[in-house]
Order: sequence, then C-alpha cells, then structure tokens
Amino acid sequence: MDRNTPVGSPSSSRRRRHQTRTSLHRWGAGLLLLAALVLGGCGRHAVRATEKEYLADQTMIFDEDGQETAADEHVLSNREGSSGGRGSGGGGCGCN
Amino acid sequence: MQLSRLLWAALAGAVMWPALARANDRVDFSTTWYQEKREACADCQQGLTVIHPQFDAEIDVGESAAFRFGYSADVVTGATASVYSVDAISTATPFDDIRHDGRLSLSLLGKRSTLTASGSVATERDYLSIAVGAAASVDLPGRNSTFALSYNHNFDEVCDRDNAMATPLERRALTGADPCEKNILRGEDTPGTTAWRELTIDTAQASLTQNVSPKVVLNLTLYGSILNGFQSNPYRRVRVGSTEPQEFVPTTRARGAVSARLNRYFPSLRGAVHLSARGYSDTWGVNSGTAEMGWSQYLADSLLLRVRGRIYQQKEAVFFKDAFYYQTESSAGAYFTGDRELGALRHFIVGGKLTMFKVGEDGAQVWSVFDRLELNLKTDLFFLSELPVNDLAANLGGVDRQFLSSGQLLDAIVVTLGLQLDF
Repeated sequence: MDRNTPVGSPSSSRRRRHQTRTSLHRWGAGLLLLAALVLGGCGRHAVRATEKEYLADQTMIFDEDGQETAADEHVLSNREGSSGGRGSGGGGCGCN
Repeated sequence: MQLSRLLWAALAGAVMWPALARANDRVDFSTTWYQEKREACADCQQGLTVIHPQFDAEIDVGESAAFRFGYSADVVTGATASVYSVDAISTATPFDDIRHDGRLSLSLLGKRSTLTASGSVATERDYLSIAVGAAASVDLPGRNSTFALSYNHNFDEVCDRDNAMATPLERRALTGADPCEKNILRGEDTPGTTAWRELTIDTAQASLTQNVSPKVVLNLTLYGSILNGFQSNPYRRVRVGSTEPQEFVPTTRARGAVSARLNRYFPSLRGAVHLSARGYSDTWGVNSGTAEMGWSQYLADSLLLRVRGRIYQQKEAVFFKDAFYYQTESSAGAYFTGDRELGALRHFIVGGKLTMFKVGEDGAQVWSVFDRLELNLKTDLFFLSELPVNDLAANLGGVDRQFLSSGQLLDAIVVTLGLQLDF
C-alpha cells in the first residue's frame, strides 16, 4: 500500500471500495458457512421427529426457566463489567 | 440481490406464516435472597442484602396469541463507599432503596414462529427506566434449527446533582438528602439542586439453536448494546489528588458478546452435560472471558439435580486505576471511576439447583387444577478476587481497603426459591 497517498485521493477511494468489498465477501462467506451448518439439520443427516425424545427433555432446553435466567443476569450484571450473551435481553438498572 | 438480503427476506416471511394455537397458561413465582459480605460501618448492617421477588404470568388470548405480564422488585439494604480512595472503608455509609419493575408483552404464535412486542417500566428513588422491545423466532422446516432475533430500546433517566457548567474535577456528588422529584414516568429537575440525565440503551441479540444429533443441541448467540448518556454513579466520589469530585466516565459505551452453549444427554445415566463459553468486549476496554460447565441428573422420576461451576475473568477499563494512583498521579486522561465492576476481576461460582416436579398424566391433573407443578431450590456461592491493575510494589496504600469487599475468599451467596404452575 502507498502510505504517501492522501486520504481523499482517487486511489485511496479505490482502496476503501476494495476493503469494503473484501469485508462484504467475508460476511457472505460467514453467512454461507452458517447456512451450511443450518442446512446440515436437513436431509438425511437431520434429526427426525421420532428421534427427538431426549432433545425435548427439560434438561436439554436452553433458558427453560426464564426467571432463573433473568435473576442470574441481574446478579452478574451488578458484579461484573460485562453483560449479554444469554437468553434474557439487556437493559438499564439503577443499582448503585 | 445479496445473500444477506435473501436471508432477511426469508426470515421475515417465515415469521408471518399463518397461525395455529399452541399457547399454555403459566404462572411463575420466585424469590431470590442475595447476601454479600462487606466491611461494616458504625450505622449500618454488615454486608449488602438484596431481596428480589419475581412474578410472571402467561395467558392465552384467543387461539394464536399469548399475553404476558410480570412484576419484580429489588429491596436493597447495606453499606456503600461514598469515596473511592486507598481507605474507602472509612467512608462507608448505610443506604437502602426499593426498585419496582413492571413488564408486559403480547405474542403472536404461528405454526413455526413467534412474534413478540414488549414493554416495561422500572422506578426507584433516583432512576427511571422505560423500555420497549420486539422479538421474533422461527423454526426452519424439519424443526431442527431455530433463529431468534430481539431488539430492545431503553429511555432511562438518572437523578444527578445539578452541577451546571462545572468541570469534571469540580463536580459534586449526589447525596441521599437531595430531592429526586418525579412524576409517574419522568423525572422533574429541582433547579440548582438536582437534574435528571438521560441514558438511552439499544440492545440487539441474534441466536441460532441447532439440533446436532438426537442427543446434542447447540446454541450460538451474538449480542450487541450501545449506551448513550449519563453512566456515572452520581453518589460516588473519587479521590483525585487533593480533591474528591463525582465519578466521571465516558457517555458512550458499545458492548458486544458472542457465546456458544452445548447440551448433551446421556440416556444410560439419565443425565446431561452443559457446556458454555462467552467472549465479551466493549469500547471502555473491558474484555472478559467466561467458561461454564454443568451437569443435570435425575435422582428420581420427579426429582432433578443440577450442579454447575463458572469461571470468569475480566480486564479493567482503560481509565481505571487503583485508588493510590488516582491520589498520587491524578486521573487516566479525562475520566476516573471507583466502580469495582470496571476493575480487573476473577470470579468463580459454584452452585446447585434441586427441582421437584409433578406432571398430570392420562387426562388427570395435579391437585385437580394444574397440568404441571414445579418447585425449585437453587443456591450459588460466589468467590471473587479483585486484581491490582497498577504497580502493586510501588502502591504504598495497597489495594485491600479500596473497596468494601470482605477480603475473604467467599464473597457472596444467593438462594432462590421458585414455583412454576402450568394450567
């Protein structure tokens, strides 16, 4: 890359468009990979309805107890600097 | 048309699929008792106590909709340090507060999809929160993959001291005697004394739950949140040099997290293993990692035990300093904070949950009323280590008294009792 090229020059604009296309290609590849993972649940590799006995068990359901998930997130958000990534949504709290 | 647009269009179409009813009526009650050890002060009880009752109900509305409403509260009593300094314990003061939170939502239930609109209002003496949100989920054909999206917007307000045009090092902290007037939904300024500051929070989450095999299910979640507005603790002062101004943190914070969870059932053991990992990062420099492992075991047909262990570690915010260095070197740039949650932490949790449940079978109901009854007892033990972030050898004041922490390995305990009733 030419480090002496000014930011507003045509060549820097072409580099930004290239970088944007590269970023979009990466997003597209990521979505294709995600689609492949999802479609792996279809066809002859899918879990049939008659095979879902264990998947329906309460121990296998994520965030099955909504109040427990909410209470956990409530406690942890007031002890740690991070939040999110579990079933319950985020939000503000005035717990000083 | 780009691939991402095609996927968005497919998701929107699936959400609007014609409806069939599958709602259940349910009532949930729970009460959580949180007890944290803290250094005592002369006029306050030892520690920090929070009682958190919750109530939620879900009721069918017609054949393809469900209405939910709920209420929860936080009853808080304990000690807080008014000044972040080398000896914050000497500035501990008693405080108590009650926070009320009401929420309701309406869901449209499709054959393989759900669309939900929600709202909530929360209020306490010095904080008001109004939130609206929407969520959608869809099961792909075959019912092995579920996409879910949610978005939430908060219109929050924080009561603060009216510091007019004061510079950050001149700002005064709010006290419990200052009036925080408000009507039902919004705060009202008391000119010259207090002013309500806005805080908007936008949160979005996307998740995929995938049946990987007859005994394995996987969940991937992407979370993002942007906070704009007043985010300091209005009561907290920080000893910076020879002054003790109100804490001052940036007004914008962008947060993101990605998590993966996996459940695997073992039929011969009548148990399941639970694994999860999460990475978090934000624009204040707080980066963290979480790993959790749990095991669920049926002790009898109607008795279930779950145990778990969780480890968490975070790096401090870029503007966080140990108290000694705020006092001797001044702030890290424009900002200064005494919030333990923005320091470097290592956090370990162990806990267990015992569930007794009874399901009505062959047309019979439990106690002639309920389709299902479930009673839960859960407890967690919290072990916290506050890690020094600056040169400990040169820290003549030390870090042992800059927070009200107990200094013992066991930092807090949580006990929850819950009851779920399905009709």
